[in-house]
Amino acid sequence: MSIALRGVTKQFGAFTAVDDVELTVPTGGMIALLGPSGCGKTTVLRIIAGLEAPDAGQVLFDGRDATAWPIRDRKVGFVFQNYALFRHMTVFENVAFGLKVKSRHERPSAAEIRKKVQSLLDLVQLGWTGGRYPAQLSGGQKQRVALARALAVDPEVLLLDEPFGALDAQVRHELRRWLRRLHAELKFTCIFVTHDQQEAIEVADTIVVLNRGRIEQSGIPGAVYDEPSSAFVHRFLGQVNELPVTWRDGRPHAGPLDITGDTGQGDAGRAGEAGRAGPAGEAAAEIVLVRPHEIDIGPESAGWPAVVRAVRVIGPIVRIELCAEGRSPHEPLEAEVSREQFEQQHYRVGQTVGVRFRRWQIYPASVVPRPTDAAA
Amino acid sequence: MNAPVPGLAASYEEPKARSLSGRNPRRQFRWGRLLLITLALAFLTAFLLLPLLVVFTQALAKGVSAYLAAIVDPMAWASIKLTLWVAAIAVPMNVVFGVAAAWAISKFEFRGKSALVTLIDLPFAVSPVIAGLSYLLLFGARGWFGPFLQAHDIRIVFAVPGIVLATIFVTFPFVARELIPVMQALGKDDEETALSLGASGWQTFWHVTLPNIRWGLMYGVLLCNARAMGEFGAVSVVSGHIRGLTNTMPLHVEILYNEYNYVAAFAVASLLALLALVTLAGKSILEWRQPELRDGARRWRDNNRKGKV
Repeated sequence: MSIALRGVTKQFGAFTAVDDVELTVPTGGMIALLGPSGCGKTTVLRIIAGLEAPDAGQVLFDGRDATAWPIRDRKVGFVFQNYALFRHMTVFENVAFGLKVKSRHERPSAAEIRKKVQSLLDLVQLGWTGGRYPAQLSGGQKQRVALARALAVDPEVLLLDEPFGALDAQVRHELRRWLRRLHAELKFTCIFVTHDQQEAIEVADTIVVLNRGRIEQSGIPGAVYDEPSSAFVHRFLGQVNELPVTWRDGRPHAGPLDITGDTGQGDAGRAGEAGRAGPAGEAAAEIVLVRPHEIDIGPESAGWPAVVRAVRVIGPIVRIELCAEGRSPHEPLEAEVSREQFEQQHYRVGQTVGVRFRRWQIYPASVVPRPTDAAA
Repeated sequence: MNAPVPGLAASYEEPKARSLSGRNPRRQFRWGRLLLITLALAFLTAFLLLPLLVVFTQALAKGVSAYLAAIVDPMAWASIKLTLWVAAIAVPMNVVFGVAAAWAISKFEFRGKSALVTLIDLPFAVSPVIAGLSYLLLFGARGWFGPFLQAHDIRIVFAVPGIVLATIFVTFPFVARELIPVMQALGKDDEETALSLGASGWQTFWHVTLPNIRWGLMYGVLLCNARAMGEFGAVSVVSGHIRGLTNTMPLHVEILYNEYNYVAAFAVASLLALLALVTLAGKSILEWRQPELRDGARRWRDNNRKGKV
């Protein structure tokens, strides 16, 4: 089932949780609603489920206006962040609930229910837990029971609110893979909410980034990561270094460094942006965002001189903290290099190196708030 | 208001450092601790245990036969039956009102919600006598609805309906007050899940909400029942004290006492006291039962850890 939101708006008192959202989810799509807490992503999900009514706009299911449909009629499976398993029922009874509450002429026979529940529990690899109570399961097991329970009524859409938020990293990683497999197998339309960009990139085929109730950007994960349309998205997906831009001779500079880098190694893709006339002399009217792995570290003469402050080896990558000349020591630059490069160059703490930006993006400074401000 | 008060010893924490003077600071604590425990126990004995003891000794002062005779006395028996009847009507009604109010307050957002919460507490704040008087002013012969009720030959005041109404008023908060925090803590997720799985509102309440709140509900019912049977002030005003007709047990006790019939008065009173003890026991069992269930589940899970994926 395809889902579309047309101009959906929802207010809670004076707070606009969802602001004129347009969203189309194709049948069988796997969409991540990504954003910081308070950005309205859960409200969007609840509006699709029918748990919340929009103040304005339409919710379309397969092109039909479903805005006023009651929850029961939407054929939507909703899985809560805390799983919301019925604690007084066994795992089996939990999964069977949606089948048992059907009206008499729709309800399968007891034997059919038993068969279906067992096959669902086998599907989520928990066939042996039927007689247990939720309190006897681990977090990851509870999550899978909640999924099985939602799948029992054959929903055409599965809505997941922070599906793996409360799990430890290992289990989370496993469940993400498992959810992808399940989705490939059953081909339901799936929308999930997350504040974890890693999760969104790993699981979804489309990412929708929300900020202050509005959609900032949507697209396939790689595109959103590589071509952020705003400083907010740039900051929210992955780490960034942020520097004020000053314009000299019509070229953007960060500190003494000409960002466009006249060395022939720079990313020419940004030249158009760099070439325009800047507001000369106005400090911090613009900022440049650079991801740690987009920073080049070379000899001191070839770039912005910076002192290596700390080196941390994290498996295949090495994170290097740099204090660039003329910048406060409290605002270090973070660079990431591959283990191989690190082992060749062997940067040491205290050493002075030269920093250049391989890839960057310039944004107006004050228009877009930082992700951390968005909740306020 | 009903959380089990932890023993003083339990809330006492081991001091980690010795005082500068080198004396063991625990010693100073020990005296304070002893003093507090003694005070609490003395207070309990003087104001709770002794009166209870007196009730039973007085009731049995002239032997078991006199005690039994006082209870099977037709007037006493009528008051017992009336009390049970009143409780049997008032408690279920307050269960329905209480669950509805708690549901509304904990699951929905609406205008005037805080006013409703305050109103539910009103019977706790108002003297029961005033509650009784207000019913008198509403339904009495000279009250607002008096002429109408007389014209249709309906008796509320000085009759059983008045007693039931007064009792409902006084016991209204118990169920709602028990359930509101329980239901608020549970949140709406379970109910919303049930709805998304296709359950109707009624199915959701019956299969999801009720099992979640059953212990809190039983607790509220117990307290509500104890108060319904023991209420004196409000009932006294609207009852009219007609022996064998509108006398509940507490009223009957007072009449007997005023007639210097101590054995009979205390015999009936002992039944009420017994009811209080049964209520307390029931309450303790409920409190003991819940953690027990949880602990049981935890033990079960630990035993089955090996089977975990």
